[in-house]
Order: sequence, then structure tokens, then C-alpha cells
Amino acid sequence: MKTFANKNPRTLDQAVSIAQQARKEGQAASIAGGGSDLLGMVKEFIVKPDVLVNLKTIKGLDQVEQAAGGMKIGGLITLNALGSHPLIRSQYTVLAEAAETVATPQIRNVGTLAGNVCQRPWCWYFRNGFPCLKNGGDQCFSIVGDNRFHAIFGGGPSYIVHPSDTAPALVALEAKFRITGPSGERMVPAADFFVLPQQDATKENILAEDEILAGVQLAPAHPGRRSAYSKVLDREAWTHAVISAAVVLDMDKDVCQRARIVLGGVAPIPWRLPKVEAMLAGQRITPELAAKAGEEAIVGAQKLSRNAYKLPMTKALVKRTVLALATRA
Amino acid sequence: MSPLTRLKTIGHPTPRIDGVERATGKATYSGDVHLPGMLYARVLRSPHAHANILKIDVSKALELPGVKAVLTHENCTVVWGAGSISGGRQYVDEIKKITRQKRYVFSNPVRFFGEPVAAVCATNRHIAEEALRLINVEYEPLPFVLDQEEALRPDSVKIWPDGNISLNAKNEPKPEVYQRGNVEEGFRTADHVFEDRYTTTYVHNAQMEPRVCVANWEGDKLILYTPTQGISNCRHDTARDLGIPDEKVQIICKYMGGGFGNKNQNQDADLIAALLAKQVGAPVKLELSRKEDFIGVHGRWPTTQYYKVGVSRDGVLQSLQLRAYSGMGPYRKNSGAIGGVELYQCPNVQSTVYPVYTNRAVSGNYRAPEFPQGFFGIQSMMDDVAYKMKMDPVEFVLKNMTRKSNDQEPYSNYTLEECIRRGAEAFDWKKRWHEPGSDPGPIKRGAGMAFMTIRSPLGQSSAVIRLDSNGRYTVFVGVTDIGAGAKTTMTMIAAEALDVPMSDIDLVWGDTDRCPFSVGESGSRTTDMTGYAVIEAARDIKRQIAEKGLPKGENALIASASPNPSSEGKVRKAFGAHFVEVEVDTELGRVQVLKYVAVHDSGRILNPLTAESQIKGGATQGIGMALHEDLLYDRRSGQPLNAGYYGARIMTHLDAPDIEVIFIESDDGYGPFGAKCIGEAGIVHAVAAVGNAVFNSIGRRMKDLPITRDKILGALA
Repeated sequence: MKTFANKNPRTLDQAVSIAQQARKEGQAASIAGGGSDLLGMVKEFIVKPDVLVNLKTIKGLDQVEQAAGGMKIGGLITLNALGSHPLIRSQYTVLAEAAETVATPQIRNVGTLAGNVCQRPWCWYFRNGFPCLKNGGDQCFSIVGDNRFHAIFGGGPSYIVHPSDTAPALVALEAKFRITGPSGERMVPAADFFVLPQQDATKENILAEDEILAGVQLAPAHPGRRSAYSKVLDREAWTHAVISAAVVLDMDKDVCQRARIVLGGVAPIPWRLPKVEAMLAGQRITPELAAKAGEEAIVGAQKLSRNAYKLPMTKALVKRTVLALATRA
Repeated sequence: MSPLTRLKTIGHPTPRIDGVERATGKATYSGDVHLPGMLYARVLRSPHAHANILKIDVSKALELPGVKAVLTHENCTVVWGAGSISGGRQYVDEIKKITRQKRYVFSNPVRFFGEPVAAVCATNRHIAEEALRLINVEYEPLPFVLDQEEALRPDSVKIWPDGNISLNAKNEPKPEVYQRGNVEEGFRTADHVFEDRYTTTYVHNAQMEPRVCVANWEGDKLILYTPTQGISNCRHDTARDLGIPDEKVQIICKYMGGGFGNKNQNQDADLIAALLAKQVGAPVKLELSRKEDFIGVHGRWPTTQYYKVGVSRDGVLQSLQLRAYSGMGPYRKNSGAIGGVELYQCPNVQSTVYPVYTNRAVSGNYRAPEFPQGFFGIQSMMDDVAYKMKMDPVEFVLKNMTRKSNDQEPYSNYTLEECIRRGAEAFDWKKRWHEPGSDPGPIKRGAGMAFMTIRSPLGQSSAVIRLDSNGRYTVFVGVTDIGAGAKTTMTMIAAEALDVPMSDIDLVWGDTDRCPFSVGESGSRTTDMTGYAVIEAARDIKRQIAEKGLPKGENALIASASPNPSSEGKVRKAFGAHFVEVEVDTELGRVQVLKYVAVHDSGRILNPLTAESQIKGGATQGIGMALHEDLLYDRRSGQPLNAGYYGARIMTHLDAPDIEVIFIESDDGYGPFGAKCIGEAGIVHAVAAVGNAVFNSIGRRMKDLPITRDKILGALA
């Protein structure tokens, strides 16, 4: 592990100014929430910080508050607390379900919501220190390498998949992200937070080096809302999503008024399916319609040499999740 | 078969005698050893699959405050004898002496990604790690080969000047051949001949405790705290490699966190720690990370197996041929054998197995080293032959399975048929097995079975028992307790043989200066061999008591035994059969094990509690090998991509199904109280049973391990 200075700010502003100061001095700063992933990367010399900004010393950043009929969630809430929160479970089920599929109980006890959303990719070329686009190099090794876990949508020049489970749920819930930086605070729609590699292949989101994802805000839940997160793992626990689907249906009796469907594990960002959503809006969801939704979900998918199996899976997962939600009593 | 007589201690479910220490964190593992002035070592490993080292500059590392020593191939030419042996004959000293393809602790050229290039020791771990990054190595990368079949093509890079067929025990580049009858004649007269190819992958032992050792020299004597499955062979190997007498090495292994074959004998880490400690005159601790343990020690050899099978029209085997290639990595640490042809009764058999060098991680012992991969290949093949012959697989097995060892020598007893019949009944085979792929709907169930025989050898081991005047017995045995419960089993055997309660017995173990020779916890031998010695020593001490009376005052009675029993020309084997039901989601590619019945004859069960765990643990590893695990390499760089628990998809608790274990207890009259081997028996046929269940579920034969969702969805596309 590289030598670094650990800083314990008391406030978000202090955290930002520490990061800002480091940047001015030409030093690398890393923002640590739970640190469960970051410290592993530091040990492997994938991330080489001079300064580590430890957010855990900031009080109150892990709270859930009801606000304007909706919900404000602090970025430092642990995934375990998020998954077991009664209001989130009942009103924003997809988010609670996503949180409780992450990694293992030990990791969920320390890993945070903001950390999960900002998690770096788990592409094995990146994590093994290959000089890839994410590691400051000039190529994506997955293109001619082993790409069985890589993107079928939105790829190029990098073909990573976004590793977060909570991110697709937040995009499906149309959450707003509260970002704190040197020029104060800004609110950004969840969908605009993530960055495709064609925009910037070195990172996965819009955060500048001295910016922090402080929390998320959720709008009031539709009274007829049903939501769910379906995740396919390579074993029963502790893998990232091979693929996943965050589905939110706003129902009026048995008619779907509005649908939001966002996939994980298929693209460098949480991958929204607007055409499928439009197909379901205003409809009674029958098995036939759900099957059509599944077919539509993979239109435009581009397979690499070893990830074609993700197409039939995506089709089935969208079909099943939509149908199960719509027909749930 | 007559029922076994009931015994006082043996046969009763008995908790481990060290369970509380282990569960409460009080047990002292090698990693818990702290000595005054101890330094910490780290290893720099090759970032290339194959390269010449042109230059190593360690000056910057040595300048770093706190760094005490650096070893490289330039200042250390020690040969690690157990790291590469002609023919993979790892326990044979004479062959180590003639081995030509030697493995140096630090080699140049480096022949696999992760091979040690240098080692550093420093005042703390952090400085040692920083120092590694200050070592400047200039490499000349060489062509490399990862696949065992590709390595035999004429245009492949030669990893050794002799070529890529590993040398046998006579230093000849030849395959291992077994033959009886005439296979060509057999194929000519067979009514049907089937051919196919199966492959298996490198899977890692993935034991809980990665390699960690502490070396300390007291004068010219080395004291090594290290997790080893055999303190006796570890001592002998270490002494030979360092060129000192055996008595100048003391191996201490009080507790260890598993090994599954990963910790046989000595490892290069032991030598590195010992050499650094010698050079700096202070104790040195060397710890391997999980990733280093995955790529730097060894795993099960990957194989490519070609079968040709001839049967008569009524489904009786006429001829059986195997040609296969085992990927050994660039050093021959074990045989590379492929078990399986011995499972069948057949007049004409030929097996030709090439142990082949590649530039992958080294292959070596992993629980039943040569069996799960071979049993998967041959029992998938035979399951397919049964299917094509329109036979129930169980009927096919009963018709063709071994009845005598190699159709010639008698077994010491034989319960294979009973294992299969009992299993089929408990599993409800006739109901669960059906026309392959015939379940309607996307989620399909299927049933599969596989069976096994595995060697249950007898041989030399030792025990010492002392009785003091307080009536306490101390039993000295050289076991290390890899996790199978050897300490508990030895205490139980002593209690039964001495006819005293276990509480009257103290056990001394895991220290070569205090314990007599033990065979080592590998090859499922400790219970049988060392247990036998305990019984002999107990007999002796009872005879002494009868002759001399109980000891008084400072006097003690001491008995020592080193028996070397044999089974009088009969072949001792354990038998078993596994029956598995899986459910395959044909849209998502998920395989779930729903039901698992494991029937075993391991002779008399000494401790039902730990015996069941052995079977369950082995079967669980087998399921992992069947469905998940594979050390994947990037073909362009020769680098492993997924080393570690996360990446290699090792089974978690949630993945382990309920496994019903049924023991058929028998006594062939040779083992201690009738015990036969058990440690490796649970894994050997698990892989094949799962694979056959997947076939019955989806109607597609999965011929390449592991059976992951991409392959299932690919086969169904």
C-alpha cells in the first residue's frame, strides 16, 4: 500500500476544501465513504492517493428524512441501513431491494449508498492493473480479450459495465443527486450523473475530483407504485450483477400508467429503456405484452465475442420482472 | 455383512477437542506467531507469463530505511526440491536427486505470471511492500503458451529445452500409459463405438488460511512455524533444500486453516522466510495475500480428455481408450495423472496421459489430485453412452462398474453395488430421472448420478504413548489437523484402545521436536496409518501395565509403535455414489442443486460428526468445480484475471445445498477399528454427478467445465 495522509473532516465543506487543497498542490485525493472497495484498490495500487478524505467523521450524513412528501437520504447511509429502512422498503422498494443484493453482509454493514453509486468498475482488466482506458491507458482490453462480463449497450471506447446495484434503482426512481463542491451545492437528476465512455472514458460520473456525492432526494411515491429489483448473480451471494433490472410501475388498478425500467450490468451506465417504458404506459400488462417488452429490451444491443448470452437473459429478466410486478396482488 | 460391534468412544458423534479454541480465536495459527525483533517479508512476482530477467537492480530498495535484506536469483540459488520433481513423484527422495528440470526458489527465466522474482524483509509490512516497488527488473518477454494441447504443437514455445512433455521418473519425455487387453481389437468387435472430448479447468484449493510462515534460527537450527499438512515431510524437505541435517530443522504447526492439498510438504515461502531469517539474523514472517496464494502455490491440473468407448448391443463395455493432456504449469509438482478408467470392468483398456508444461500457474495437489477431473470426463462419457444406448444410467453402471481391481485383484471388501442401490432408493431415482430435457417450461429439473472407488492405503506411521503416575495418558502423534479433526480422532482411537475416557488423555501434536513421524495429512491416510500406530502403542502400554503394574512417583511407562501394516495383496478401496437433482433456468442459465444424496462406504465411521462434514465439504467443492470455478487467463498477456474468492466464484454458504449423507459401514479387517479413507472421498464423483444432472435437465451434454450460464445459454441458443 502506498503511503497517504488520512484526513478526518467534521463538515462537508471541510471535506471539499481538503480535496481542493490537495488538487492545488498537485496531490491525488480520494474520497472514502465506507472504504470497503477503495482500500482494496489502494492496496493493489490501482488507486494511489496522497490524501484520503474520510467522510465517516462527518455527523448526520447517514440520515433518512421525510421532506416535501418525498425522502432525503444521506450518502453515508450504510447499505444495510438502507435496505432495512421501513419507509424505503415500503415506498421505494426497488432501492431497498437493490441495496440488499450488494456484496455480503459484512460489506453492507460498512459500504455506503454514495460509495456504491460511485464505485469504480469491476472489469478484470481495470482491477488487475492493465494499462486500460480506466487506468490512464489508451485501449480497452476487453475488446479482443475476455469480455464475458462486458457491455452490450453503450460501449466504446470502453466496454465496462457500471457495477452499482443502487444506481439503476435510483435512476428508475428519478432521484436527484445532491453534489457538494468548491462552488457550493448542486442538484442533478440521477440519469445525468452518469457518464458514457464516449464522453469521458476515464470516469463513470460527472463528479470533479473535489466534489462529493452528499445525498439523494426522492420525489413522493405514486400511490399505485410497485417496484422491484431483479439481479442475476453468478453464485448466490457476492458477485456484481451479471445483469439486473430495476423496474418501477405506477399502476392504476390493473393499468400501468407509467413505467420506468433501468438495467444494470449491461452498459457503462445504468441503462434506461425508454421504448419499453412507452410500450407499457397506459396498458394492461399481459404475459404477451411482457414478452414483447422483453424483446424490445434488447433491440440495439451489440454483443462482443463472449457476452452474447446476456441478450436472452436480458429479454427474460425484463419480461419476468415486469410481469411479476404487474400481476402482483 | 455382519453389523459392526458397538464401541465405547469410537462411532459416537464427538465434538472437536479444539473446537472452543478455534471458535473463540484463542487458537494460535502460524499468522498469530509474534517473536521479538521479528521482520516482515514480501515477495516480488513476475508480471510476465514467460520472460528472461536481463537485470535486477535492488539498490533503491536496500536504501529504503527499514529494509534489511533482498533476495533474488543473483544471490540465492537454492533449489526447491518439492517444487518440481521428475514424474511428479513428490515423496521420493531418490527421484528428487535425479530431477533435471529443477525449480529454483528464484528462477531466471520466469515461467509463469506470479513466479517469485525477489523477496524483501523489513521492519514492517508497509516498508517491505514499498521496497518491492523500488526493485527495478528488466525483463525480456518470451512467447508463452497457456493450453496443454497447444503446448504440444510443433510451433509452440519450448518452456524447457527438453520440450513441453514433462519428464517422467526416469527423466524421459513420455506419457504415462496403462494398458490391458487390446483396445483396437475391442473396437473392431464392439457393436457401437462412441468418441468425445471433455475438458476441465484449473481450480484452486481456496482454503481459508493463505500461506503464512515464521522462520527463526537458534544458532544453526531452524525453527519454522508454518501451516503444513505434514510436519515430518516438511522437515525433511526443508532440511534437504537448505543442505542441513533433519534434526537441525524444527517444524511447528499447532493450528492451520485448511489446506485441501495446498499445504503438502514445504513450500517456497518456507524457504524464502528461512533464507531471509538466516541472512539477517532475526525472525522473519512471510505472509501471502489471497491473490498470491491463488497464483503462487498451486491448484488442480486442468485437463483435456479424449475418450473412445466400444460397447456390445446389450450395453456391455468392450473397449475403453483415453488419451489425455494435463496442464502442469511450468513445473512438475505432481503426477498429472487422470483417474477414471479403473472404475469400469472392461477387457480392453488403454490410457495415455501426457503431463504437459504450460506457462500457467503451477498444478499440484488438491483433494484427490487426479480424480474429480477424470471422473467427470469418463462418467459424463459413460452417461452419454448409456443415453445413446437408451439405457437407464444406473443400469448401465451396475452392468459395467468395477468388480475387481483392474478386473484382476480382489478388493479387501466390496460394497459399491450396495452404495449405488441404497443411493438410488434414498434419492428416488426412478421417479426423478427422466427423458433428458423433457420438462415443459423454461425451468427444467434433471437427475444425475456418479460413483467412485478411491484408494484407502495402509502404511507406516508412528505414535508414542506415555502413562504417568497420576493415571494420565499423553499421546504423541505428528498430526497437524488440517481441519478434518485428526486431533480428535487420534484421542478417540487412543481412548477406545486404552479403554479409558477421552478426558484421561492429553494429545501432543504438530511439532517435529516432540512428535514421532506421521505420514502427513494427504492422500486420506492419517486416520488409517497414524491411527493404526496409536492402537499398536496402546496395546504395548497395556501389556507393560500388565507386566509391571501402574507407574508410581516420577516413573512413567512409555510405549512407541511404528507399524507398517498391509492388506495382504488385496486392494483396499472406499466406495461411494452420489445422486443429484438440479433445476436449470433455461432463460437465465442458472443451475441450482435441489437435492443431493451421498452414499459412502469408508469402513467404520470413527466420528460421525466430522465424517459427515468431510463428505459435505467435498461434495460442495465438487459442485463449485462443476458449476463455477476456473482461473481465467488473458490470452494476449498470459495474466490471470480472476484470482481470489471474489473472482473465481468460490462457493459461499448460500450456494451449498442440503446434502444427505448415508454411510454404509463395513469392516474389511485391516484399518483401525475397520476405518477406511474418507477425506477425499466426497469430492471425486460430485463433479460428474452434477454434470449428468444438468444433461438430464436440459438434454445438452456440457463437455467443458465449469458449466456456467454462458455455456448453458449458448448450448440452448
